[in-house]
Amino acid sequence: MSAYSSSRPVILAAALLCVPPISLLAQDNSVKPPAETPPLPLIDLTQSVMFEVCPHTGMMGSSGIFGLKLLMTYGAFSLELAGEQVIGTTAMLYPISINAVLNLATHGRLIPYGAVGGGLWLTVPVNSLGAETVSTLGINFGGGARYFITRSFGVRLEAKEYFTSISNTRGLKNDLLFFQEVSIGATFLFH
Amino acid sequence: MKSLAPHAILLLALLVPGPDALRAQLKFEQSLSLNAGLYAASGFGTNFYTSARYDYFIMAGRYFVEASLGIGSLQSDVISTVTKAKIFTSDNLVSYEFAFAYDYAPGGALPFFLFGVGGVKEGQETHFAAVIGLGKRIPLPGLFGSGALGFRYDLRDQIFSQRINNSDPFIVHNIVATLGLQIYF
Repeated sequence: MSAYSSSRPVILAAALLCVPPISLLAQDNSVKPPAETPPLPLIDLTQSVMFEVCPHTGMMGSSGIFGLKLLMTYGAFSLELAGEQVIGTTAMLYPISINAVLNLATHGRLIPYGAVGGGLWLTVPVNSLGAETVSTLGINFGGGARYFITRSFGVRLEAKEYFTSISNTRGLKNDLLFFQEVSIGATFLFH
Repeated sequence: MKSLAPHAILLLALLVPGPDALRAQLKFEQSLSLNAGLYAASGFGTNFYTSARYDYFIMAGRYFVEASLGIGSLQSDVISTVTKAKIFTSDNLVSYEFAFAYDYAPGGALPFFLFGVGGVKEGQETHFAAVIGLGKRIPLPGLFGSGALGFRYDLRDQIFSQRINNSDPFIVHNIVATLGLQIYF
């Protein structure tokens, strides 16, 4: 047995021990640390068309209200269909309106907005024999904010000013009426 | 007395939810319940009442919002037979509520507390009411092979201002007590 053949396993072992650091170094050079991805916002109104259902309650003047709003949103713009019941002592008022909503933010939990619209007001007298339902046209504007607690649920606060014009009993002139409304409600978002 | 013991144990077993059943129901976000009970209208007596409630749970059921619609009656034997008076245009009672509830221990012994607003329609008159109440959701594990069923009881006070025959307005408390079956989804 020669000296080369006896030292051959030692050389092989030394060669094996030397290789891994080189290959690891090569791997280290090729693998890049993952890039920092920004956290996704809880709500992103620009992702797709989204729909919202908003039951709400509040006060119009000194009368209590209940209502439901349906929204179709894409980005900064929403189209809203709203129906309400205003519970008065002598009459019920049912404002039905279509509103344009401008969302002042499209990402994040808090979405402040401004709204303007118009529609029909139905006034139904209570316990007045012979009295008929009166319908008038009205416009409204206001603003509020939606705060999302989860991706599909949030709360909504809103303040609005309503205008309507009604003719007096003699029909000689029109009276312009103003109403203020403050409401709070929930909003359910469908992606 | 001896024969009542198994029933009492069964009732206790139903009322104390197991941890698995509780965990199973905490994952649900919504529920629908059908309820039946009694409605005590102030000054008109007590009648049967049925309602449907929709709940949306947040934070593992610790908070939830609820919308409900109920139908009852204002029929009063005293008013109709003794005084012969007709106070409302009909005896129909419809009430709807929107409420927010806090459940400190969804699987514990404490009840949830609730507050909100409601509309109470008596005949043709509708009143805007404040609503306070308490209740409890009790899971029914394994009933009909489903982990999504529960039992609930509720006690509510609908508070509103009322005026009858041009009287001065006065505050009434209508008390509602119901039992219901709840399905989670």
